[in-house]
Amino acid sequence: MKQTGIYLLALIACMAILVPSLYADSSSPVSGPPVQVSTDIPETAQPPQPETTAAGETSGTEAETEFTEDEGNAITIADPIYPWNKAMYHFNDKLYFWVLKPVAKGYSSVMPEDIRIATRNFFSNLTTPVRFVGCLLQLRIKDAGNELVRFVYNSTAGVLGLADAAKADFNIVRRNEDVGQALGSYGIGHGFYIVWPFIGPSSLRDTVGWAGDYFLDPVSYVNPVEASLGIRTYDEVNETSLRIGDYEDLKEAAIDPYVSIRNAYIQYRQKKVDE
Amino acid sequence: MIKRLTVLSLIFLLVFPLAADAGIPLDTVKGHVNSILDVLRDPALKGESGKKTKKDKIRAISEKMFDYTELSRRTLGPNWNKFNAGQQKDFIELYRSILEDAYVDKITSYTDEKVLFNKENTLSEKTSEVQTTIVTKKADIPISYRVISRGDTWRVYDVVIEGVSLISNYRSQFKEILMNKTPDALLDTLRKKVGKA
Repeated sequence: MKQTGIYLLALIACMAILVPSLYADSSSPVSGPPVQVSTDIPETAQPPQPETTAAGETSGTEAETEFTEDEGNAITIADPIYPWNKAMYHFNDKLYFWVLKPVAKGYSSVMPEDIRIATRNFFSNLTTPVRFVGCLLQLRIKDAGNELVRFVYNSTAGVLGLADAAKADFNIVRRNEDVGQALGSYGIGHGFYIVWPFIGPSSLRDTVGWAGDYFLDPVSYVNPVEASLGIRTYDEVNETSLRIGDYEDLKEAAIDPYVSIRNAYIQYRQKKVDE
Repeated sequence: MIKRLTVLSLIFLLVFPLAADAGIPLDTVKGHVNSILDVLRDPALKGESGKKTKKDKIRAISEKMFDYTELSRRTLGPNWNKFNAGQQKDFIELYRSILEDAYVDKITSYTDEKVLFNKENTLSEKTSEVQTTIVTKKADIPISYRVISRGDTWRVYDVVIEGVSLISNYRSQFKEILMNKTPDALLDTLRKKVGKA
């Protein structure tokens, strides 16, 4: 208990340090970077530079930002640790194709889809505290209440959360709120893009959010640590088995998968915060 | 029956506060999406042999549904002007192939799912957004079609899936590539990609 308290204090201290820097950072409108971008393009347009390795080197020191034409939303994120991120992207990519997908495929061949969906519902039910607190932090009282209702109803009528009865009977849908989104709703920007091994794309803000989520997730409190890790892995395999094909489609449709994923991630998070 | 009533009442509601042709974007998109679904569910075209016919038919429909020039312009954004007229034409063609392949491949995996046409939002005087949901066993996927008025029809210039806009996503990729490559080099990259697929 005391230990948890200390961790929470550390988390708040981190946020206190990060918040000022984040406010100054990526959400800043079109002031500095367009100058950067417009000088870049004429330079590199003439001599065709070799491949994308040049991009990796040039972005080593300065933040590599991307701007979209302002159609009402300018989605940008800084990518100053591009070499690390790219390496992690490749790692996760290989992990998916060499480990996660084969395991998930094997798993899905022995486990019928209905059961896997029920398993997903079960795990999702367990993580209600994360969504509940996420909603509260954003002062979405009604949504927080809905999550509570879902938890109670799904755990009883939905048999320990195996069935999403609240959705089927009352159309009360799950709201995927988390601490990262709560931070976003306070106006805290992403900071910069980070790709974590195993976990995948994130940002500075969302990583801090995950740390917060960790303490709200009941699975984290399972002893010993191996069991907790085992449960998470099972959840991950189960979830992947329901999504085989999505990642491949994304890669197939993309010209540059790394950039595509980065952009899709921030668009997706932006939408979740806006909701 | 109920669905038809809902659509009718939606159109009814839309006609009153907004311009006279307010219901048309939703109808247009609905018409196209439904024709695509019909092709997908056609029992005569099942199996591997029917696949090519399916793809060809869907391509024909998407030709009417999408405004590829607008799509290309908005995707490249400020970089559009770096391409000369010939390159622009090539880009539109290549981009179209890539999108069609991606869209068709993805959509042929959906057959029995329900598509709900929820509502229509006016974005500006020439553009509108039609919100739909694909209801699958595993999840509900919100898909929005952004349409622009072209003469007397509405054509799609962006598809937003779960909050991720197609144009924005490709734009970020092309921007990244064009920071280091010439337009011709980009066109070559696209040609290779289309050739592979």
